[in-house]
Amino acid sequence: MKTRLATLWHAEFFSATDFLRHAIFIIAFYTVAQLAGLREFTSFLSGTMGSVNLGWEISGLFGIGYILVYLAFVVLVPILILAAGILTLWRKLLSPNDKV
Amino acid sequence: MPCLHFFFATSVLDFRQPEGLSSKARQLAARHLQLCHEARLREGEVRKMRASNEEWDFMGRTFLVWSLANMGLREPASKATYLEAMDQIIDETLRLENERGMYFFLMPYAKLRPFVVQPVHSLFLDGEIAMMLASRRLLEEKPEYKAPLSARVESITERFMHSPKMLLESYPDECWTFDHAVALGAIRLADYLDGTDHSGLFHDWLSMAKERLIHRESGLLMSNFTLELTPLNGPEGSSIWMVAHCLQLLDEEFARDQYQRARKELGRTTLGFSYAREWPVSWVGPADIDSGPIIPVFNISAGSSGMAFIGAAAFHDNQFLSSLAATLDFAAFPNRMGNRLKYCASNQAGDAALLYAATLGPLWQKVKFRAPL
Repeated sequence: MKTRLATLWHAEFFSATDFLRHAIFIIAFYTVAQLAGLREFTSFLSGTMGSVNLGWEISGLFGIGYILVYLAFVVLVPILILAAGILTLWRKLLSPNDKV
Repeated sequence: MPCLHFFFATSVLDFRQPEGLSSKARQLAARHLQLCHEARLREGEVRKMRASNEEWDFMGRTFLVWSLANMGLREPASKATYLEAMDQIIDETLRLENERGMYFFLMPYAKLRPFVVQPVHSLFLDGEIAMMLASRRLLEEKPEYKAPLSARVESITERFMHSPKMLLESYPDECWTFDHAVALGAIRLADYLDGTDHSGLFHDWLSMAKERLIHRESGLLMSNFTLELTPLNGPEGSSIWMVAHCLQLLDEEFARDQYQRARKELGRTTLGFSYAREWPVSWVGPADIDSGPIIPVFNISAGSSGMAFIGAAAFHDNQFLSSLAATLDFAAFPNRMGNRLKYCASNQAGDAALLYAATLGPLWQKVKFRAPL
């Protein structure tokens, strides 16, 4: 397990593992934001304060932060995972050790 | 990216059913009924809305009552539950208006200068309250609401008779097309209920509106004027979709024309996601409390996009409605709690407007086709 994590952490830039690592980070950030209830603060989009106690600035900050993480989750994660898959397949097909 | 919308696309029937209730309507209604029953939860929602706009507290009530009336007609088995909630909301709204005055539901700038016409009335409140009372009575007659409805209708019609330009104030020297359309719609419902006839008023107001309230470049009704007919704002998305829907009760052809123009001027679809602009290209206007913050580049307005659901539903524009619903699930951040649904990017008033879009139809049909009570 430790070895796998180390491989993931030290992945070569722009490699399939690197793409996967970024996807995992984004999923982790999104999960934390979701569990922390930051989704509620997106009400600033309709001009409504997320929390009267926290005020506009903090509520807006939480809301924007959540939206950025959410967009990364729904837009980037599928792209990163697909890219990792395609790259792995591509490398396997082009590998000189493989019989064609 | 072009495939993203496939993950959020659902059948239009998930949002709105020709008969009965869609799953979304049921879930949104469950959340609102929960708010009706849990005072603390409701207070929290109202507090957040009132911190930005006191009107939302009021409109959250009116849209919900209109929705419940349509739901009762769609689902007679649950009528008793809906009637109880409607009465609770109506009674509380009338009590608050009575105890705290009409300014309680108006934004603070209403007090910055006096209303031109005395005694003071706001068509915003009178029209929507009349529509609430009429909707309730259309679902099931309640004798206690007959006199309050008649009083509102008489007050509005009398003010129209004394208004040389046929415009009534909602705020000091500020007359909103939205409020006129709702008020005239409410009078139409009252005519149906009480056997009165205000067709002359409708005819005169529509003639005036077609001649004097239209924005030349877009052909859309402008949103607000002074009592002397000086335009304050051009055609705005957060008004026109509901205006077109209310006009269906008065002049179907004009209503459809306004919807189609709004669709062309304000409706947009990017990568399979639909939304609406607040202003047409031919009018430069600011982001305000009605539009919500406008997202640059695409000019997306949450206010206009939310109200576009009402237009699309009213005119059976299922393709636009379905694509708007995909945007809602993608960008309005739905939060499901058991069988209840709310949209985090919205607020209670916005969710009530969405619920109205998901349920509207039966009330208008009953009045237009004079189905028996």
